[in-house]
Amino acid sequence: MSKRAIALRVNGERVEALAEERRTLADFLREELELTGTKLGCEHGACGACTVTLDGVAVRSCLLLAVQAEGREVETIEGVGGEDGGLDRVQRALMEHHGLQCGFCTPGYVMSIRAFLAETPNPTDAEIRDAMTGNLCRCTGYQGIFEAIRSLAGEARS
Amino acid sequence: VSANGELRAGGRWLGRSARRVEDPRLVSGEARYVADLTLPRMLHACFVRSTEAHARIVAIDVAAAEALPGVHRVFVGEDLAAIAPLVDPMPFETLLKTPQPVLARERVRFVGEAVAVVVADDLYLAEDGAELVAVDYEPLPPVVDALAAMEPDAPLLFEQHGTNVMYREADAFGDVDAAFAEAAHTFSIRLHTNRCAASPMEARGAIAEHQAREGRMTVWSSTQNPHSVRAGVAAALGMSDHQVRVVVPEVGGAFGQKLSPYAEEIVIPWLARELGRPVKWIEDRRENLLAATQSKEQVVDAEAAVAADGKLLGMRARYVGDSGGYSFNATCGVLVEPQVAARLMPSVYTLENYAYEVDGVLTNKTPIGAYRGIGWTAGHTARELLFDMICRDLDLDPAEFRLRNMVAPEALPYRSCVGANYESGSFTESLQMVLDAVDYPAFRERQRALRDAGRYIGIGLSPWVEPTGYGSRIGAEMGLPGPSHDSARMSIGLSGKVTLITGFVSHGQGHETTFAQAAAEAVGVPLEDVIVLQGDTDATPFGMGTHASRGAVVGAGMISRAGEKLREKVLAIGATMLEASPADMVIEDGRVHVRGVPDSGIGLAELSQAVHFGGVTAEDGGDDPTLATSAFYDPGGTYSNGCVAVLVEVDVGTGVVRFDDVVVVEDCGTMLNPMIVEGQIAGAIAQGIGAAVLEHAAYDENGQPLATSYMDYLLPSSTDVPPIRVLHIETPSPNTIHGVKGMGESGMIATPAAVCNAILDALAPFEPGVPELPLSPDNVLRLIDT
Repeated sequence: MSKRAIALRVNGERVEALAEERRTLADFLREELELTGTKLGCEHGACGACTVTLDGVAVRSCLLLAVQAEGREVETIEGVGGEDGGLDRVQRALMEHHGLQCGFCTPGYVMSIRAFLAETPNPTDAEIRDAMTGNLCRCTGYQGIFEAIRSLAGEARS
Repeated sequence: VSANGELRAGGRWLGRSARRVEDPRLVSGEARYVADLTLPRMLHACFVRSTEAHARIVAIDVAAAEALPGVHRVFVGEDLAAIAPLVDPMPFETLLKTPQPVLARERVRFVGEAVAVVVADDLYLAEDGAELVAVDYEPLPPVVDALAAMEPDAPLLFEQHGTNVMYREADAFGDVDAAFAEAAHTFSIRLHTNRCAASPMEARGAIAEHQAREGRMTVWSSTQNPHSVRAGVAAALGMSDHQVRVVVPEVGGAFGQKLSPYAEEIVIPWLARELGRPVKWIEDRRENLLAATQSKEQVVDAEAAVAADGKLLGMRARYVGDSGGYSFNATCGVLVEPQVAARLMPSVYTLENYAYEVDGVLTNKTPIGAYRGIGWTAGHTARELLFDMICRDLDLDPAEFRLRNMVAPEALPYRSCVGANYESGSFTESLQMVLDAVDYPAFRERQRALRDAGRYIGIGLSPWVEPTGYGSRIGAEMGLPGPSHDSARMSIGLSGKVTLITGFVSHGQGHETTFAQAAAEAVGVPLEDVIVLQGDTDATPFGMGTHASRGAVVGAGMISRAGEKLREKVLAIGATMLEASPADMVIEDGRVHVRGVPDSGIGLAELSQAVHFGGVTAEDGGDDPTLATSAFYDPGGTYSNGCVAVLVEVDVGTGVVRFDDVVVVEDCGTMLNPMIVEGQIAGAIAQGIGAAVLEHAAYDENGQPLATSYMDYLLPSSTDVPPIRVLHIETPSPNTIHGVKGMGESGMIATPAAVCNAILDALAPFEPGVPELPLSPDNVLRLIDT
């Protein structure tokens, strides 16, 4: 399979790699860069488990090719954390409000919620529900996830 | 712990909403699921799956696939012919067996059945290879409907049996004919429940590595039941079970779908041995919707005999389970749907006269397996819909009808007509609490007023009882006899911390938290001083898996027993060291001391050092001073209960249902961790809402599945699940340690009925008939038109 040299930034670090042209960004991150925190739940853009940010915008890495990230800034769950190397406020809120059970969808939620709150720091309940339609959770019935986001609404960005 | 019920929660750790120990690794992406694991020289497998619902395999041409660079080998059914076909293990004499080769040979019986497997350097190449495998099928007539499959001229899936009915059973209790003869009214319903997919966000997957020189096999699998996978792999590969090690990494949800060893979990280790290299298989979503077990499809014919005053006199019911292409190699095979539905039909009601027939029927669809609430959902839904039909017809209030026919508080403990022993509970109380929470009289007034204004709101009430805590006793009561138990090992290390080792594995339930709570409580150490080890058959005691709402009951019980033994050891040794009587000693916060004199105590680290290196033993000179214990637990029968109310508004122009309120009262006895209980309840209710209005693993008349992606198989999303109010009653079980009752499935058992009845109640002015499920907008509109 033909490969192409790409250069991008991932979690703040410059990455140069030979990427197979057909390889998805998700597989590139998981397999070439060994960043396995990004999950694959459906591989057809419905479940949001593979959500990462591309230049700050939440995207589904299963629907992008690695070569499309050429020259872009990618952030994955591995790039998220507090300044002290701990957890960021979204991660802490999900824990505090029991917004996860099996945890498989959670990295995707963390990425989606961070991007959402960056754009909409003080969302209404309806906005929260609408914004989260791109991520599926089969365990929680969403209650704890909503609570977690609600608890962050109006807080200054960390 | 010598007798049941001696220990009660309300302790220092049990009953607290402790934050989950496992969460930091999950929220940070550090947790490793099977797909995240890589081994040196690992190859990747992709299964070629049948495109036909029913066909003979004439030929399989693998040449083009094997010629593809990067593809190592392609294997077909004949290559694995030495592996005995899988059969369900249920010891029922009348249950016919449906041997299933791990890769199909000669015949396929459902779309998605694995017919070949391609092994390549990476997954992309394996998928390329799978595309090139050419399978020549000779189609056979498919049978897609369970009732049609019972017809005398129906195509047969297993000719040797002469029938597609793999299991047939009938039983009767009381005098059913007399009940129907004396009834003022009789009613009947035929409900065809929709086939669902458990659909955990992580699909299935396995990696295997053969250690040829050690004669061992290691399998990493996303499973609920590692010891069962170990037994399955060992048997299939001609190994003994101690030669097989099954490791369960993080599991991304299961809900019953990952309960039993699958054909793929046997093929992968076989490949690893055959090729001498590790082999990995990660199921994709389409495969999961095609080939992992489905559930909940039955045709239930239920009849009720009712007296003039609304007293339920008797019921008859027939349950036809649409079981798919094989009585799956699952815990219960074709029994998992209709048999369990039949046994739980009396539920919370004083039903004395009841007769049932059960048919487990094969069809050319994906095999049926366990999914949260198993066949109870279908039976419960049929009964509750029938009850509301009765109420609409006789102009009875659905709440009053249920209360009138419910087992009263003073009647508990109560033995149902089929022999289920409800040991304690809050049947009427939980219904009343739900009615209060929704202000039922005010709702009915609002409903009348809105109807006059052309708006349609409705309420569905769905009280449940759930057999839980699966030990041997409850299995026998529920018509699935067989042993069910687990064991815990516990020790205190040199640092004075507790290690708990369990055969259970968690797949979202938070065992590392609740099990640690139980251990901390029993031993007397802080929660953070307990580590829970699970998910490795080399290291853990034999376990029967996390399913059937058994983890809390069996887990907390076995841990309490082991912890109590450990505590007694520590007290005896502490008494030696402090020159006191063991009877005067206590352990608090990880220190052993004379009661009331904490300052004089010693820490468990110091005590452990003294035991291991100082020759210190208990005063009575026990010859085993080591700080390790184990304990076994097979609990008594226990039933949790509760009630869910769903309030909806139906747009009669579009058929769209809006959820106005969902209130649930649950009573699982003593709660280990209320936060986790509420999470389980909310998750199960969301799945119940999905089953009621969204989810349908539908097939066309040729047996082609119509829902093979999340575009067609609709999981409830954030805008589909309303706020859920969870209320609690705690009625401890007298039959279990700590009074714990199991929980987790009830939301999925009871919610579909509540949702359907709420919609039917809203549409009462249109005199709705029996719904087609799920109640998608189309099917809602059909209720209005007819």
